[in-house]
Amino acid sequence: MKLILSTSNIMTAGGPSVIRPTTSKSNVELINSLRANFLAAQQATPPASGEANGNGNTSSTSWTKQEDDALYIPAVDFSQRGLAEERSQYDITVKLFYLPGIPVSRRCAHTRQAIELVLKELHVDSIDLLIVSFPGILFDAEDDSEEEVSSVDDGSSTEQADDFDSTIQTWRTLESLQEQGKIAQLGVAEFGSERLARFLPHTKVKPSVDQINLKDCCVVPKSLILYAKQEKIDLLTHNDCNDILPVGTTRELLGPGERGAGILASAPGASDGLQGDIETQWVVKYTAVVKDRGVVENKGYFALADVGSCVKPGHST
Amino acid sequence: MGLLALGTALEWTEAKKRADQVRKWGIEQLLANWHRAKGKERDALLWGDEVEYLVVALDDASKKARLSLAQAEILKSLARDEELWKEGTCTYSENKEHEGEEPPHFHPEFGRFMLEATPGRPWGIDFKDLLKVESNMRWRREVAKAHMAPNESPITLTTFPRLGTKDDYIQPYYPPSGPALRSQFVPDEIANPHIRFPTLAANIRARRGRKVELNVPVFKDKNTPQPFKDPTVDYDLHNWPEDDDVRNGAAKDDHVYMDAMAFGMGSCCLQITFQAKNIPEGRKLYDQLSPLGPILLALTAATPIYKGFLVDTDVRWNQIGNAVDDRTKEELGELPLKNDRWRIPKSRYASNSTYISQDPRLRKEYLDPDLIVDEDIKNRLMQDGMDELLATHFAHLFIRDPIVIFSEDLEELDLNKADHFENLQSTNWQHMRFKPPPPEKHDIGWRVEFRSMEIQMTDFENAAFAIFIVLVTRAILSFDLNFYIPIQRTTENMETAHARNAVLDEKFYFRRDPFSPPARRHQQSSSNSNASSTTPSAYNTPPPSPPLAPVESEYELMTIADIINGSPDGTFPGLIPLVESYLNSVNVDVETRCSLARYLDFIRKRANGTLWTGAKWIREFVAKHPAYKQDSAVSEEICYDLVKAVDEMTVKEGANGSVGWELLRGRKD
Repeated sequence: MKLILSTSNIMTAGGPSVIRPTTSKSNVELINSLRANFLAAQQATPPASGEANGNGNTSSTSWTKQEDDALYIPAVDFSQRGLAEERSQYDITVKLFYLPGIPVSRRCAHTRQAIELVLKELHVDSIDLLIVSFPGILFDAEDDSEEEVSSVDDGSSTEQADDFDSTIQTWRTLESLQEQGKIAQLGVAEFGSERLARFLPHTKVKPSVDQINLKDCCVVPKSLILYAKQEKIDLLTHNDCNDILPVGTTRELLGPGERGAGILASAPGASDGLQGDIETQWVVKYTAVVKDRGVVENKGYFALADVGSCVKPGHST
Repeated sequence: MGLLALGTALEWTEAKKRADQVRKWGIEQLLANWHRAKGKERDALLWGDEVEYLVVALDDASKKARLSLAQAEILKSLARDEELWKEGTCTYSENKEHEGEEPPHFHPEFGRFMLEATPGRPWGIDFKDLLKVESNMRWRREVAKAHMAPNESPITLTTFPRLGTKDDYIQPYYPPSGPALRSQFVPDEIANPHIRFPTLAANIRARRGRKVELNVPVFKDKNTPQPFKDPTVDYDLHNWPEDDDVRNGAAKDDHVYMDAMAFGMGSCCLQITFQAKNIPEGRKLYDQLSPLGPILLALTAATPIYKGFLVDTDVRWNQIGNAVDDRTKEELGELPLKNDRWRIPKSRYASNSTYISQDPRLRKEYLDPDLIVDEDIKNRLMQDGMDELLATHFAHLFIRDPIVIFSEDLEELDLNKADHFENLQSTNWQHMRFKPPPPEKHDIGWRVEFRSMEIQMTDFENAAFAIFIVLVTRAILSFDLNFYIPIQRTTENMETAHARNAVLDEKFYFRRDPFSPPARRHQQSSSNSNASSTTPSAYNTPPPSPPLAPVESEYELMTIADIINGSPDGTFPGLIPLVESYLNSVNVDVETRCSLARYLDFIRKRANGTLWTGAKWIREFVAKHPAYKQDSAVSEEICYDLVKAVDEMTVKEGANGSVGWELLRGRKD
């Protein structure tokens, strides 16, 4: 079964989820806003509406929704209007996180799923920028040597290193989506100048954006600045976590524990919830900004996880 | 200051008789304009900053700094170059940096020693625009300086330390005690000679029935006389009836006494104006920025000296309020009401007293229960369809009399103009101003002006505060933040902000939770209506919510460090983390983000005390000066050295241990 986790619009959901420590790169925003949205949905569903089973407190069915083989946590009402003004007023940026340990062969399908969900949520038929984040690439501002960082990672978890061929293969998918007119521009994240230089000759559609994480100081390698300028690639900043939704966190979020949503069982074999292994497939973040006013009107996340006995065990954390 | 119309200005006795007519016509103009512009939609964010300068002349031979009354000549020369630039025969600046930018605009101000400069074109929200602000401010300073005498400089001190002393602090020199100001400290020539300004000063004085009165507590140092009796006050002057004021106790013990509009309106401020997308967004920004006024006042504190003495306050605000306070004794509550209509608790220049947003979060407990309103005007506005909140706001501004009336303007009411409306609106100098679109300019929308900040000595600081406020407005709209507190608390905060070192030593009322309550949150997210673009239906039918907690539990006393940077226990997020969270949600390029980080870091450190305020830096400069005698007096020599240091600071900005490092860098290397 597929689980589709969503935050709804976290800008107006407010609360502590929008604020996270600036010192550490962290995925607090995603985790907190998922948790807050689950809680809000549970509280907003009056116990009376759970007529079918009558026990509003423990039942998850009243605030989630199953459609085909997908369980929406919480239920998403796609019939609501997405954006307040007409499409042309917005810059819509989507960032798709491919997760470590998930086969590259699934990315084509994952990309389509993720984009479709965002288009449906925002009631639009295209996005302006899709940035993809490959697992295992870490940008190191001190020296422009992200390649080595990822190869160091290889020691502990071989499957995480995203090899170059799979990057190119994934990019083909994105190029074809771009050709269909659903995405105006493509972007990558955490590419150093060497990786960019290797990558660009293999692309039909060049990335127009390279998004890099700058911790607190602003040390960007000159080589990257110059190269990006030469190739007309905008260097943008972000503050996202590389491993944005580890499997353990997903189980904790959805499990029966004190801070969980009470949907998943506490362990693959336990019987206190949905049974089976869980594997988070991807996370997507979307942002709609009113162009000439700089107002972030809508921002949120979707995450998709597979659950069931036939799921290949994910990389444990 | 807006455009200056010419004409025959009425003296107060005449002006008073026409006040009702001006108010009536002003309200009709407002209504016509409101009907025309209330449906304006989708105006872009445009914003502008106003920087004000003192023109100071340095006399190196005698080690004196004097205010230069050269405003008119400088403006004339600037205007000539602007004409040449328009014809394309003048490049305006050898500096290639500003190619393609329109040259800055310069405007007259009240003081004849002042200049105001604005960018040639308003700024947008393109983040790259934000990077131009600082260099544009520098450019303004360069252009201004290039049109001054070689020994003159544009200085961004809020007040000239020795304005109103016995010596020749102005050039050319004029003796005090003229017919318009009747001040024993400053001459009439200190004011811009345009008829509007002397009339403004004279009519305020006439309406009030005596001179304006500024008593600022003196800073008591080791050798300051106890009690301190302002030694510059002359009790034996007999030129004008108002010379009796000091004999009637106008000058208070332990205070520095001043008696003219120039002591207030001669102060320099940093004001920021934003264009809203429509009237609801403008009204929301007006309300949400209001509680930030006192916080930013304390954070920008830069006014520790008046009339040659260190004072015990750090900011200019109340002194301007007193300098233009036209209230009569009856209105002040010193005499029973007989001829006047109301007791009025605040000067025309004061913190604002109204909230105007049709926002379901605006509880009636936040409003001022003692607000003075002209009920007839309010009824007139509502009769024409204006809602009660907005009608109340304008009916409150219109309790004042128009001060300067030109007889030519009273012949015919022109509903396509806003001159009578502006007569009242622009002489209500509150810390927030809600500005309707000018009727003659269709491309300008509803605007909100944030007016409390003190001018900073360097362009870096001024740019940092201007940009910070812009980013705060974007965070307010994006996160739908709620800073509402009872408006009387903001009034109290404004007083608190005056205390010496208030930025670190005082606490301010602030809302504990700037986010909307969870119940409403979910309602909103599930209906997917977006609050930043609140449509009228959203506030006509507020969602059902649990009973509200007592208003007093919604706010508490906080330090400025907590308000700006967040409380250590995480209960209040902090304005800077909110702004950073906003920046993390939009696409910002690396270079821009790093520049913005410099500004935000500066404000963070100003708030937590790592960096000094201008007020503290000036105090320390005086205290360490070899000529200072620990008696609160700031001599001509100290003043000269101070101005020189400030001038140097605008260039070197505290780099490598140069002057001002405590203010700008926090370390000497």
